[in-house]
Amino acid sequence: MKPKVAFFDFAGCEGCQLQIANLEEDVLKLIDIVEIVSFREIMKEHSDEYDIAVIEGSIMRPMDEERLKKIRKNAKILVALGACACIGSVQRMLNQWPIEESKKIVYNNFKETKNNPYFDNFSTKAVDEVVKVDAYVPGCPIDRNEFARVLVALVQGKKPPIPDYPLCVECKKKENVCLFELGKFCMGPITRAGCDAICPTHGNECEGCRGFISHPEERAYTEVLEKYGLSVEEILQRKTMFTYRYVEKTKKEAKKDE
Amino acid sequence: MKIISKKEFLAFIDALIEDVSIDVEGVKAKGEKFVFGPLESSDELRLDHDVTILPPKKYFLPQYETMMTFDLSKPFSVERVENPKERVIIGVHPYDIIAIKQMDTYFLDTHVDDSYLQRRKNTLIIGSNILNVAEKAFFGDMGTGFVDSGYDLMLTDMGDKIAIDIGTEAGEKLLNKYVHSLQEATPNDVQKVRTIIENASAKAKRGLLVKPEGWRDLLEKNYNSDVWKSQAEKCLGCGTCTLVCPTCFCYDINDEIDLNLTTGKRIRTWDGCLLRDFTKVGSGEIFRESMEDRYRHRYNRKGRYLPDMLGFVACVGCGRCSSQCIPDIADPVNLINKIAETSQSIKKSEITPLTTEDKLVSATVEESLHLPRPATLKRVEKLTELETFFEIELDDGCPLGHQPGQFVEISVMGFGEAPISISSAPNGNTFELVVRRVGDVTSKLHTMKPGDKVGIRGPFGKGFDVKALKGRDLLFIGGGLGIVPMRSLINYVLNNRQDFGEVTILYGCKRPCEMLFKDEVAEWETRKDIQFMKSVDKCPEGESWDGEIGVITCLIPKAKFDPKSTIAIVVGPPIMYRFVIRDLLNLGMPEENIIVSLERRMKCGVGKCGHCQINGIYVCKDGPVFNYKDVKDLPEAFT
Repeated sequence: MKPKVAFFDFAGCEGCQLQIANLEEDVLKLIDIVEIVSFREIMKEHSDEYDIAVIEGSIMRPMDEERLKKIRKNAKILVALGACACIGSVQRMLNQWPIEESKKIVYNNFKETKNNPYFDNFSTKAVDEVVKVDAYVPGCPIDRNEFARVLVALVQGKKPPIPDYPLCVECKKKENVCLFELGKFCMGPITRAGCDAICPTHGNECEGCRGFISHPEERAYTEVLEKYGLSVEEILQRKTMFTYRYVEKTKKEAKKDE
Repeated sequence: MKIISKKEFLAFIDALIEDVSIDVEGVKAKGEKFVFGPLESSDELRLDHDVTILPPKKYFLPQYETMMTFDLSKPFSVERVENPKERVIIGVHPYDIIAIKQMDTYFLDTHVDDSYLQRRKNTLIIGSNILNVAEKAFFGDMGTGFVDSGYDLMLTDMGDKIAIDIGTEAGEKLLNKYVHSLQEATPNDVQKVRTIIENASAKAKRGLLVKPEGWRDLLEKNYNSDVWKSQAEKCLGCGTCTLVCPTCFCYDINDEIDLNLTTGKRIRTWDGCLLRDFTKVGSGEIFRESMEDRYRHRYNRKGRYLPDMLGFVACVGCGRCSSQCIPDIADPVNLINKIAETSQSIKKSEITPLTTEDKLVSATVEESLHLPRPATLKRVEKLTELETFFEIELDDGCPLGHQPGQFVEISVMGFGEAPISISSAPNGNTFELVVRRVGDVTSKLHTMKPGDKVGIRGPFGKGFDVKALKGRDLLFIGGGLGIVPMRSLINYVLNNRQDFGEVTILYGCKRPCEMLFKDEVAEWETRKDIQFMKSVDKCPEGESWDGEIGVITCLIPKAKFDPKSTIAIVVGPPIMYRFVIRDLLNLGMPEENIIVSLERRMKCGVGKCGHCQINGIYVCKDGPVFNYKDVKDLPEAFT
């Protein structure tokens, strides 16, 4: 029997699901190996009977947490899809300030938002801060072929083939001119590979949307950025966009050390 | 030396490009840098380049290479991918030609890499002498700015005309096919070419304090220098220096399966020893985890291990690592000079010159290096929660032909390949493996049944020297999974009991439920002609145990053997060696009487991929069985 797959979206732009819809004819190949029982971007039907739950988006409210925990109970395998689900992505920038302060600025004490569970935000969480995650498909947006590879691996019973080496490896194999040599800054040296260095290949700086590798050489990397002329604030700014999760982690560890 | 006008030379290149039977690759501009790439017209070709981003190694060992395809809808269908198309590479600098010669030595030595050989034989190299010198290049210091062999044709761009030196018959044939207006070079032309070569080499000197012949000694004396740590602290571990290096050849191999779940391919891709997971084995252990160890390894491999193994310093002074390392710590000139400044006098080492041309001509392929042979699972038995026993027969009906202590690479297509010790004595047409479930391949194996197909390569490595053990007293000390390779020798010894002296077997594991080969162990316990003892670290409630409790070293004082004359065979997890060997030496056992079997990441099994290296030795080729005396001084052996 084909494993049943369901897609769920939380806080995010749904762009990662769109990437999967954009697999086009490969979607037809995918449904040869799995049965899609819920995917609102491409079908009307929905079922709560599934083996693999694919979660897109970050977790922002108690009601999201509840819903996610229910999904976890129903699923044998849970996949975090995209940067929002994997690390919290851009909405994690919010975590720089106390949540009440942000809410005041955004909702301006508008009365409909009070005691309304839809507006009951807490600081941004990645999916694995709420439930156990079995596989990650990183990136903003995801690489749709990587998603297909991960799904195939899960069906095969293999460890999902997500690399744990820096982007530089793929960038060098593509024979790109290093962006540092062009006077640009790039998060490649600490960012997880797997996107085939798509941004640097087109001359754009890597912004770390796939998150850091498991053992990033952050200190050596900061020295490099300083050497190439970035200030401490500018370095922090770059790490804040997609990867504030790691900044938070560093802050927490620093606090512990004190 | 021949001379041709620039116009006619460009017409020659265009004629080559027109010929659809040949791939024409040459140096082109990429922004302000240069790369080797397919030429669409002679206008694109640049002979004034300083250095290319990647070396031409990508043509012989591509970044991603499909080595074979497989089809899981058939019982066992694996096909090698051929690369028959002819290719010409134009604009290869002398230092890169020397690097290709080194590659030839590396890939055509003993085990011939058939994919490499095919690509290499199908390629003509048209070199070019260096007009512009890259800022970080130091081929002048290395003596690699000039070559008199290793190319089919060698060009020197002299402005309005090109000097062509013919290196091989194939090069001459190619030239004569398209060019009909070659002139002999005048003494003046020859002098001009010489001046161009000399100028480049003179410019490419950066004050390297120790010549390559001295690197071996320098690196050996300074293995524990502080320089390694201070450099490694700045290292990003990004692998750039290894990836862009013309003499870094390490690779990894992975299976990719298509969306249909039935067809797929096995892909070889570049790997690098600066990457953290490079030495990671199935069980998760990383043998060179600290950046300092990884950083030091790269230079020692280049300046010490490969010179010892194959007779060349694996650095040609191209300067690619130096110019592409963003923290600027990869520059060999800086590194060697830093160490030299704090070091005493350095001896020159004899480096045997290369004899690669012969190898390229004489290399023949008996069997494909990476292509597995089909085999069938005959018997599958679950031994413990984690370990399963497999009896396997090769489909061609031949015996494996192994020695006790050797290993095989077992493939489950679509999942990958894993090195597994052979646990049976050479006997009959089948062989036996015991596989611990740790990764993709081994997990899949655990779900397989008798009759299922696997792929086998090997046997590989050096096993136990059975002849040398004959007539001797033997002490086997096996910890955990170490009993598996050891069993191949134990069973051999017990099958030929009269050929050996006293035999003692000490077997330890963590807890009773982890004990392997329970039936055989029970038999060993009752045999009168051997001494057998067993221990577990602990016996949790609910399990029963009639042996000793404690780590395996607790058995050593209880065993009766003469430490002076007994040969000890020690196999177990990394941590076990240090303590067992210490106790044996304390009893007065001579170092050369201790035999060990080591585990590392033996990915290719044939001494090419680089993963299993312990300092200067390859575990897959030089081991896994070693005499303790030969490895005890290797800092990376027993960490």
